[in-house]
Amino acid sequence: MDGAQDRKRILVVEDEDNIAVALDYLMTREGYAQQRIATGAGAIDLIRETRPDLVLLDVMLPEVSGYEICQNVRLDPTLAAVKILMMTARGSAMERRKGLAMGADGFISKPFELKALRAEVRRILAGEPAPLEADAARHA
Amino acid sequence: MLDRLGLRVRILLFFALLAAGAVAALVGGGAMIARRSDIALAPEVVQGLLVAGFAMIGLVVWVWFLFDQNVARAIESLSTAIRARAHAGIEHDLAAEARAARYLGDLAPAAEAVTRTLVQTRSALAESVARETTRLAAEKSRLETLLADVPVAVLLCTADHQLVFYNGQAVDILGGGTAPGLDRNLLDYLRDGPIRHAYDRLAGAGDPDQASDLLCATVAGGRLLSGRMRVLRRRGDTTQPGYVLTLRDVTADIAAHTSRDALLIEIFDRVRRPAANLQTVIGVLAELEGQGDAPDLSAALMAEIETLTRAITDLGARYDAIQSDWRPLINTRSSDLLDGLAARFQAAGLDLETESPDLIVQVDGFELVAFWSWLASRIAEAGIARQFRIVIEEEDGPGALMRLCWQGQALSVGRLDGWLTQTLSRDTGELTARAVLQAHGAEAWPEAARDRNAVVMPIRNARRAGRRPPPIARRVVYDFDLLSKARNAAVADTRLDDLTFVVFDTETTGLAPSSDAIVQIAAVRLVNGRRVETEVFDTLVDPKRPIPPGSTDVHGITDSMVVGAPDVVEAGRQFHKFAEGAVLVAHNAPFDMEFLRRQEGAIGKSFDHPILDTVLLSAVVYGQLEQHSLDALTARLGITIPAEARHTAIGDTVATADAFLKLVPMLRARGLETFGQVLTEVRKHGRLLKDINAD
Repeated sequence: MDGAQDRKRILVVEDEDNIAVALDYLMTREGYAQQRIATGAGAIDLIRETRPDLVLLDVMLPEVSGYEICQNVRLDPTLAAVKILMMTARGSAMERRKGLAMGADGFISKPFELKALRAEVRRILAGEPAPLEADAARHA
Repeated sequence: MLDRLGLRVRILLFFALLAAGAVAALVGGGAMIARRSDIALAPEVVQGLLVAGFAMIGLVVWVWFLFDQNVARAIESLSTAIRARAHAGIEHDLAAEARAARYLGDLAPAAEAVTRTLVQTRSALAESVARETTRLAAEKSRLETLLADVPVAVLLCTADHQLVFYNGQAVDILGGGTAPGLDRNLLDYLRDGPIRHAYDRLAGAGDPDQASDLLCATVAGGRLLSGRMRVLRRRGDTTQPGYVLTLRDVTADIAAHTSRDALLIEIFDRVRRPAANLQTVIGVLAELEGQGDAPDLSAALMAEIETLTRAITDLGARYDAIQSDWRPLINTRSSDLLDGLAARFQAAGLDLETESPDLIVQVDGFELVAFWSWLASRIAEAGIARQFRIVIEEEDGPGALMRLCWQGQALSVGRLDGWLTQTLSRDTGELTARAVLQAHGAEAWPEAARDRNAVVMPIRNARRAGRRPPPIARRVVYDFDLLSKARNAAVADTRLDDLTFVVFDTETTGLAPSSDAIVQIAAVRLVNGRRVETEVFDTLVDPKRPIPPGSTDVHGITDSMVVGAPDVVEAGRQFHKFAEGAVLVAHNAPFDMEFLRRQEGAIGKSFDHPILDTVLLSAVVYGQLEQHSLDALTARLGITIPAEARHTAIGDTVATADAFLKLVPMLRARGLETFGQVLTEVRKHGRLLKDINAD
């Protein structure tokens, strides 16, 4: 396992405590440095401040939506290196398209299988392109 | 007996008798001289008598010829012309006939004066009737337009379900196989049970204000139709009343309901079981918490959660895929949608440019126009832009992207999402922008590019527009006289006016039915003594062999024109359906019938219709000595065939139909009213053509 200073840093933006606890456990176990914020309002400031490698971003957040946070991150050139994986409980093909159009690097629907989440996090952090499935979903 | 012979034959007999009498007188005179003088006649005398006899015969023949040409024939021609003007409404003057009758003294000028007066009286009468009916016609036209454009199919039928009235929507709904036509039976198009039950119920109740709702299905296309029936007011104790039927295609509605119900049932089914199992497992875990012998239930938990997850993901995707089917979206031409948008933007004082390939998009046009114009207004109110461009572009799959573009400040997704929760306008009530997106199974988001900003909305279903189909004739077709028509199963006893006729013509690769083939069939329907303009059958036929250039010179049909046309079996089947229950009429019918009857086996239908031939009808009316070609007949009846239509199947068909309609009253004037009477008379001219009704 890498040393603490080399560990990839993940910010979880999630207002539901139950899933946040589970994600905290999972990401820590995977060897990532994990931090969580429960509201959308402070998320963008925290991202600017901590510059995480990946933001696990829920779409449905109180006050500021995940789409808006994603758009703001992408509009800030200094945050170009920050990857974003959006999560939503609705997860229709159209929402996926919207998320990707806002600049997300990946989109995963709740409920998800843990191995699918793990794989998606690894893919994004490795800078690999999205699988064809996401592309195909554009026309579903 | 003599009165049954024609005038010219009777005069011929008269002169023959005269010649025979003269010769007999000469022979008798010679014989008397020989007996009195008791000596044999000198050969010179006999020769003299022979010469005198031949001279007399020659003189009689010469006088007969002059009489036939200048009197008998002229009288016949004059009387036929007068009849044509009296019964067929021909208005040409009698100049040609008058020239032929110049030795008949004042007869021709008198006949001319009578017919001129007749024409003038008829014109004056027609003018006053026309004036009187103009107002009614205008009202009728308004009603027709109204009924043609109502969005449901409207049909009026007799008690025995014959069509008396139908509008354009009825053609759309019922026309899965053959398009509906006047005097056709509604039950050829709809399954009969619900229609008969509703009719029996309503006719039994006898209350014209009562209506019956029904659900029925088409015979051909399996469409489901929701309808309402109302019987007409009874016109007498004995007559069964007709009925009005309105129909709406609910196939898609029912399919959407069914799919929604099925999905809902499946959701409960697939979620209930793992949820119940989870509750049990978690209950056991809670009870055993802290005990050392607690079994490992994590595998059971994971399996149930996995099942639940898969069910929710799968069902969610299916809900997503079909939710827009639950709302009726209409195939709309992109140009029409953009026209509507341009009008709304202009009304809102906003500039709009549009750009789109020619697409058919599946949308609710009204809601979408309201959505984009509302969004542009919001952007304008926010001071972002007032000049817009809407672009529709195709995607790789079955969809399209619609973009509202402007130059200037970008729009944040948060601001857009906030706006989307608002109602669109006072005109659209409580309709929110988000509801419009949901109805289209779509989302909207801002998009930024170097030179412009935009809001994007995907359209799920779009395709390239093909050639614009010919506009559906949004007309109503009707003949209310059919309601009072007495039906007689025996065609022979039926008056010609009460029969339905299908006049037809074929074009072929040549003249030999054994080796040539049909390349075109055209037909029109005549109902209640008029041609129904909308009920036309006209199809090219692939003869499956080259069309000789000589035949192409006649009818203009080339090999390339018949590529993709139905073959004779398919075209014959369609024509048989079109002509069902009608009397067939053709000019020189044996020729066309021979080509059709040779295909009966392949088509699986018999062309055993009663048949009338306009060649023979012309012979009945004008006598066998006249010309009976289609050109000669139509010229006599004052019918003009446009040069470009002559020798096309439809051109000749329409000309034959018009000629037939003019011949019918002329036959009636001769006392030939029923089909049987006409057939008996026609058969006297059998030597002209083969009797095809005897087949």
